[in-house]
Amino acid sequence: MSAHRDQDIDLCAGYALGCLDTADRERVEEHLASGCPMCQAALAEFSDASVLLAASAPLAQPGPALRQRVLAAVAAPGIREPEPPAEQVREPVDTRGRVIELRPRRAPFFTAGWGWAAAAALLALVTALEWTQAARLRGELESNRLRLADLERRLADESRWSEVLNAPAAKVVYLAPTGKGSSELRARATYDPVSRRAVVVFENVRAPQGSDYQLWAIVGGAPASLGVVKADAAGHAMMRLENLGEPKLLAAFAISLEPAGGSPNPNAPSGPVVMLGKLEG
Amino acid sequence: MSLTDQERDHRSLLRVQEGDSRALEELYDRYTPLLYPVAFRILRRAADAEDALQEAWLQVWRRAVTYDPRRGTVAAWLLTVARTRALDRYRSLAARGRAESSVDPEAGARPPEPSASAVHAQLGERVWSALAQLQPQQRQVLEIAYFEGLSQSEVAARLNAPLGTVKSWTRQGLLRLREILPQEEWM
Repeated sequence: MSAHRDQDIDLCAGYALGCLDTADRERVEEHLASGCPMCQAALAEFSDASVLLAASAPLAQPGPALRQRVLAAVAAPGIREPEPPAEQVREPVDTRGRVIELRPRRAPFFTAGWGWAAAAALLALVTALEWTQAARLRGELESNRLRLADLERRLADESRWSEVLNAPAAKVVYLAPTGKGSSELRARATYDPVSRRAVVVFENVRAPQGSDYQLWAIVGGAPASLGVVKADAAGHAMMRLENLGEPKLLAAFAISLEPAGGSPNPNAPSGPVVMLGKLEG
Repeated sequence: MSLTDQERDHRSLLRVQEGDSRALEELYDRYTPLLYPVAFRILRRAADAEDALQEAWLQVWRRAVTYDPRRGTVAAWLLTVARTRALDRYRSLAARGRAESSVDPEAGARPPEPSASAVHAQLGERVWSALAQLQPQQRQVLEIAYFEGLSQSEVAARLNAPLGTVKSWTRQGLLRLREILPQEEWM
């Protein structure tokens, strides 16, 4: 085994990326061929990383015809003939200075051996392949159309909600703890009086066992339930609220601590109000 | 999410070695979403990228026996074949003075099919953010070497940096990519 040097690891990285200069490439190929386990392992890692780099190329796709071209080409007779060893590939020059052809010239595809019957059979096969391919593509097209419609719908929805956050008239209300509950719960409401929508973001939502937090709007002096706060494992939650009614009547947002599932009374909290945020103006 | 599944790919490749064209078809469907963007990024013209890819798959078909699993995954080998074919084509076009002048941005800008490339797109996004976390020089060295096909001494000349530095940036950049996206997250 050729002795391992630290620089060989650098060379393995360049080798995986396919960018070594000739002398370095020869050195590392010889070294790898000698079976250095450290470099074999490093090369496998670097080559995985080069796959990741490749995946950074902007998305693009070939035309559907390429698939057929490739498959037709591999199906062509004679394509699997073993290639001559590398040294024979270099074209030697004979004494008269002409290129010698090493391989016998392959018979053209349609010669006497391939009659019209064979040609017709081939045509039928190609037609069948095309039909199958077309059916597959139609199926793909339909499913893609559905996916696209779904994505567009979701995108429109997202941008509609992001409008709330960017609305010039939007008011941001930080709800403050009332002292009757958790001091680590955080909630922020962004309310757009023009569209009458609000986005409320919660952090550190960790209701005691068997209980839930519930969000309320105080409208015209009376509480109206906006729903139970459902947080993810990290304690984050977001609620998107449609049509909060007449802006002049909306006075505040409040959070109460309720039995699991929310207050039994839909028109009033049954537990303590733990946070409150008043809308100003 | 599964972009590459070495065991499954290796079985397919062994079948290709035995001359099973269905196995080649499977690999084609599985890896074209990964290989084609690389060829297109290098050649920037759909017709050239498709020709390069066709040559690449023919080479895979004929030379599947040259794959050595100790050197890397089937995915990495397929990429090496496709990238090499694309760079060869790029160089021969450049030699004829065509590559740069005839770039047609519309020609290959076919929008990808969501079904064919959803996994790739998902991975792509994460790779982009991973690349953004690299030192700018590390990223530049990787991109120039990989997509423009420059050798390390050519990269050093282009960036006006010592060759030894380019070599270590290459290693650090690849290692960093590997760390940012641990294997279990994308294999």
